[in-house]
Amino acid sequence: MMNAIEVKNLEVTYQGRASPSLKVDEFFVEEGESVLIVGKSGSGKSTLVNVLNGVIPNMITAEVKGEISVFGKDPRKTPIHELSKYIGTVLQDPEMQTFNYTVEDEIAFGPENLMLSKEEIRRRVENSAKIAGVYHLLDREIITLSGGELQRTVIASVLAMEPKALILDEPTSNIDPKGTAQIFNLIKFFREERRTLIIVEHKLERVLPYVDRVVLIDNGKLVFDVDKDELVEKSDILFEAGVEVPEYYLHMKKFGTLSNYKYSPPKRFESNGEEVLYAKVKVVTKKEKKVIVDAEISLKKGEIVALMGNNGAGKSTLLKAIMGILDEKRLQAEAKIVFKGKDISKSSIMERGSYIAYLPQNFDVMLVKRTVEDEVAFAMKNMKKYSRERLEEILKMFSLYNLRKEDPLLLSMGQRRRVAMASVIASGAEVVLMDEPTSGQDWHHRYMLGKEIQELRNKGFTFLIVTHDSRFVDKFCDRVLVMKEGKIVANGKPEEIFLREDLEIHPPTEYLVSKHGSLNFII
Amino acid sequence: MEVLTSLYENPITQEIISWFLFFFGVGLPIAFIFWLIGLKGFIELTRFEKGSTFLYKMNPLTKILFGIAVMVVASTTIWWIGAILTFAILPLYLTLNNGVKKFNYVLMLTFSSIVGSTWAIAPYTPPSVLQQVFPNQNYVTVWVWPSYFVAMGYEPTLTLQAIIYGLQTSFRVTATLVSALLLVVTTSVSDLFRVFTKIKVPLAVTFSLLVGLRTVPKVFELLDTSVKMQMLRGLGYGKPRGIRTLYYIYGAFMAIIPAMVYLFRGAKTLAISADTRAFRAYPSRTSLKEVPFTNYDYIMFGVIVGLIVLDIVANLLGFGRSIPYVGL
Repeated sequence: MMNAIEVKNLEVTYQGRASPSLKVDEFFVEEGESVLIVGKSGSGKSTLVNVLNGVIPNMITAEVKGEISVFGKDPRKTPIHELSKYIGTVLQDPEMQTFNYTVEDEIAFGPENLMLSKEEIRRRVENSAKIAGVYHLLDREIITLSGGELQRTVIASVLAMEPKALILDEPTSNIDPKGTAQIFNLIKFFREERRTLIIVEHKLERVLPYVDRVVLIDNGKLVFDVDKDELVEKSDILFEAGVEVPEYYLHMKKFGTLSNYKYSPPKRFESNGEEVLYAKVKVVTKKEKKVIVDAEISLKKGEIVALMGNNGAGKSTLLKAIMGILDEKRLQAEAKIVFKGKDISKSSIMERGSYIAYLPQNFDVMLVKRTVEDEVAFAMKNMKKYSRERLEEILKMFSLYNLRKEDPLLLSMGQRRRVAMASVIASGAEVVLMDEPTSGQDWHHRYMLGKEIQELRNKGFTFLIVTHDSRFVDKFCDRVLVMKEGKIVANGKPEEIFLREDLEIHPPTEYLVSKHGSLNFII
Repeated sequence: MEVLTSLYENPITQEIISWFLFFFGVGLPIAFIFWLIGLKGFIELTRFEKGSTFLYKMNPLTKILFGIAVMVVASTTIWWIGAILTFAILPLYLTLNNGVKKFNYVLMLTFSSIVGSTWAIAPYTPPSVLQQVFPNQNYVTVWVWPSYFVAMGYEPTLTLQAIIYGLQTSFRVTATLVSALLLVVTTSVSDLFRVFTKIKVPLAVTFSLLVGLRTVPKVFELLDTSVKMQMLRGLGYGKPRGIRTLYYIYGAFMAIIPAMVYLFRGAKTLAISADTRAFRAYPSRTSLKEVPFTNYDYIMFGVIVGLIVLDIVANLLGFGRSIPYVGL
């Protein structure tokens, strides 16, 4: 079979860097083949795919050495729009990739750019919308779509270019379990029609059925390129490279079989402490009087509680209602909030912030100071609790002391998250509410986050974390609350929740392998 | 009474009043905007929302031409024509989806613009300009600024005529503002793209403009989140409720840099997404949908022609601008 993609002796050096960020001796993809690329963030995965689709060096300046051929074209010498007929690219965040008003307009965007006739544009829009499963949504406004619908729209808009191959760069990182399942179904379809695929994805075991080979990139080097059947043998290397590896892979490597595999969840922390937060919240829309949230929660000191459920279940709204930061022009809340026995329902949001900290998903927008120490001291000074000793203690607690003079916005994502967390805790709050802190992050960063949270728990903090990430929950949380249509419909230990099929929560695959005794399960 | 007079004439009191007046012009519109409209209100005023009334059915080109016509008429005729246009366009917001809400927001924005513009013009207007606007009049001095205010470009005295002139000029701004916002809230980015392509605006310029337009509501959303996060971290903590708006404004200014950085990071993704879908492959684009001209467009063309005639007639009858544009 002919090679669709061929790369030899590739070296990519970004402007201002002394050494290459990516070196690949040889990499190829046959036509009709599906290849999975794994590696932690910053390892060089995106650099590789950006070289293949011509974004590097056409849009991102870098020196690219070596031989590269994409369907016989050298991406360095071919305009991106010409390459887009051969290779389509779907990126991680669907919201940032869309520009138009309706689904139909978005899908038509590419064919319109190609100056195709109206009839041809119509044909392509209808075809790709049908393949991506968004045909019934053609008239819908983009802003009303769920994460899964939006990402499928993006995929349809790329398919409308009728490329021979597709690059899917972490297509499920920013969407909920329902949307993720829809994207995997689509990948399954592409696989069945033998479309050439290059998939960058953290959910290794879920995408594995739909690929032929797996490539590991670490520290800017291609570490291995193996058939998927050989992957188990490499599972320890994957694990060391910070890739999310199911526990049973390591078991299979050790024992060569799954027959005696039994997953044991980690020991959960059981708090006998006092109730630190009680909230009974009802949120209705002002216009339609529709109930968005009607929930009651209770957190005990030192607990790490996960709040799970599909998008639109009311999780983020519940958190915002507790903090008193709902959009009052649109929503109306009745809330009883009790912190350590003190009713703070009538307190201003500034006062609530001194008891309960809140970290939004886009935490970057809260970094308003020009040094890390000013950022962390911000709440302490505002609340007249400033002391140099306490500031240094918090900086050290979050490993930020050596970065204290740096601009927070120029730090790495993990560091920025630590600054944001330190700055909300500096208000004196003992309970931390986090909205999707694991979204869009690789296992290495999620693992680090989990460890930081557990360390803070040991220091007396309590957490309520909105997340879709069941492996993170299993590893680091003590209890799970599940929301559906604004109500808490389940409350229990992760292992109790993950065994229930009625909750639409995808458990970590360790549970499924344990239950079925094989890798043949539907996810 | 004598005590009050002496207190009033005290140089320190005069200084305080001068600085109060200085900040009034800047602070009142901003406070008004944040207090009554709020960042969420701005999202409503800068985002297209689907609707079915005549303004939504009009071709975007008609609305652009209408906006240009209003701007030209307001800037080349006597002030009260701009005022009439402002108050004539405002009720059109009532016909929109969520019309009452949008009308209230735009009314408040218009009021803020009037105060802000008046105050931005009046203290700087020299007597030579006032001579042209109000010839043969005795100027009524309202306030005498401290001498060092001249360093900021202020005239030594603030006259009643200067305030009136500022107020008159503000209507040139408001007429343009309300007609431009009408285009924004009733036209989708995709339709604007199609029309701009049709009238041969370069693609790169169109894309930049429309990405900017699409980003504006997002900016307000991010600013709102950032300000709330600052308040949760104690901004305005322990301060009287009445002055919290000032802290809200301060927080919004502090939030500008992180919000912009956040958006620029996302802009890279959008640029890659557009270019890998053949954006700028050719100097123009074709279109799946035609944006038609309807009867409403023809009616609006009549209005636009009427505006042009009004402009010409007003100028012929001596109701043009009091001060000619230099060089025109």
